[in-house]
Amino acid sequence: MIPSKIISERSREGRALPELVRIEFVKLRHRKYVWLMLPSALIMPAIAACFFKASGMPDATPMRFYKMAAFSYTIWLVLPAVLGMLCTMLMYEERCDDTLKQLWIVPVSKTALFFSKLTVVIVYSVCFMFTAAAGSFLAGILTGITASGYDSVRFLFLKCLQCGILIPFAMMPVLAVAASQKGYVLPVCITVVYAFTGFIMLMVNVYVFPLSSAIAVLIKDIEGVVMDGPVDTGMAFLSIAIWGTVSAVFGVYVLGRECR
Amino acid sequence: MQVSIYHDGKRVKKMGTLLWAERLKLRRSRIIWISAFSAVMVLFIVFMQGQYLYYGRRYIDISEWYMTAVQSLGSIYVFPAVIALAGSWMMCREEQDDTLKSLLLVPVQIPDLIRAKLVVSAIFSVIIYVFMFAAALAVEAVLHFSALDYKMVFKFFKIYLLEGIGIFLAVSPVMAIVYRLNKSYWLSLIFAELYSFLALFLGMNGILRFVYPITAAFCVAGYYEATPLQLVVSLLSLCACGGLTALVMRSTGNCVTKCFLKGLRVIA
Repeated sequence: MIPSKIISERSREGRALPELVRIEFVKLRHRKYVWLMLPSALIMPAIAACFFKASGMPDATPMRFYKMAAFSYTIWLVLPAVLGMLCTMLMYEERCDDTLKQLWIVPVSKTALFFSKLTVVIVYSVCFMFTAAAGSFLAGILTGITASGYDSVRFLFLKCLQCGILIPFAMMPVLAVAASQKGYVLPVCITVVYAFTGFIMLMVNVYVFPLSSAIAVLIKDIEGVVMDGPVDTGMAFLSIAIWGTVSAVFGVYVLGRECR
Repeated sequence: MQVSIYHDGKRVKKMGTLLWAERLKLRRSRIIWISAFSAVMVLFIVFMQGQYLYYGRRYIDISEWYMTAVQSLGSIYVFPAVIALAGSWMMCREEQDDTLKSLLLVPVQIPDLIRAKLVVSAIFSVIIYVFMFAAALAVEAVLHFSALDYKMVFKFFKIYLLEGIGIFLAVSPVMAIVYRLNKSYWLSLIFAELYSFLALFLGMNGILRFVYPITAAFCVAGYYEATPLQLVVSLLSLCACGGLTALVMRSTGNCVTKCFLKGLRVIA
């Protein structure tokens, strides 16, 4: 066994991250609200099924149905709002339960703590999008709007996986704001405004705002989606990366300041 | 008779004191600044949306577009959640900050206190909308000063003012339910956001548009064109929301309310 003194601080942080992520998931099991937010993934599939049924399905195709059920308001508003709430609650409850102090005593690295929270958000986001995909698939089958075509279902689940992975990175500014606040009123208000801004900026300039960049990259190849112009994937990822890096630096800085 | 007048006068005075105390508490809190920040962000984001080119013309170049878009987009996406959050924050804070005990020692009657908090929430909602109106009007004046006239200004003032009252009435059951559930006030934000989000789709339906409280507020305000009958239906819908709030707040012994709240508690 290597003596602990020889192991560098950086490698210790690397080892701490998986353990922190595991602990985060253990803590998540006791938080009922986290699981209560999951059914909101089924709102749009239900609305889409009602809408297509009511309109008499004149030109319903599986892709048109999935576009409304899983790739419209679900990723424009519902998922960002839910992830913003989750980020806020993950940070707030550490303070509320007074466990943050104990984590600093252990000691736990601020960077590892911030990224362990982000990992939880990513996993939750993937689960949320898979719930939306399963809901869309079942709503389509049960209402007879879509047949179980392999290609469209594969596309639905793959696209949902992409959404589930990419959107949490665009939500990093909310996680950083939540880390900097003692209460949760400001972060949840910012979540509402942030989701709304991402949705509106999609029509104006997708590269200014990370959420709009992420959504533009995700929906550009969906059948029937008409964008204002061609989406530059590199620029969109650059925007997400810049906002993400600034947010991570800010988040780690405010956690470190609090520790001092 | 004299006793009754004295009693009523005392009650009015007590309510005045409670409203005064609530105003002071609100002034010290950050929720005012947070709401103002949300309002300014809505103004800015809608301005940005106005830069969108539609058939070679920007939205913002169309006269009255900005004033219309600020109230419609804000009332669907942001303000119901902000008003519900502020209202339930005011109601739940006494219990969460542990000041309820001290208030009971004064003594303050809880129903009077809640009534005062509801009145302050309603005023808060109207102030947000009047602020939005003033800001949107200023932007509109800068962009299209020649197109402004008294009729248009009065029409929009009426829309904003009535929407402020209507949206408060529409979200007031959310505040009441969150207060009765004794849960954290952020729940009201989630409930209100879902509630206003559904308005996007229910507003497309010719009948439900006049019944669903959020879109009914639009009808009463004059944003949606409505026949007198549809207007009455919308008014009744908003009054029903107010009635539901009063029922949830007041009748703790009512069996139906108890069952309703118990069901909600199980869900939440």
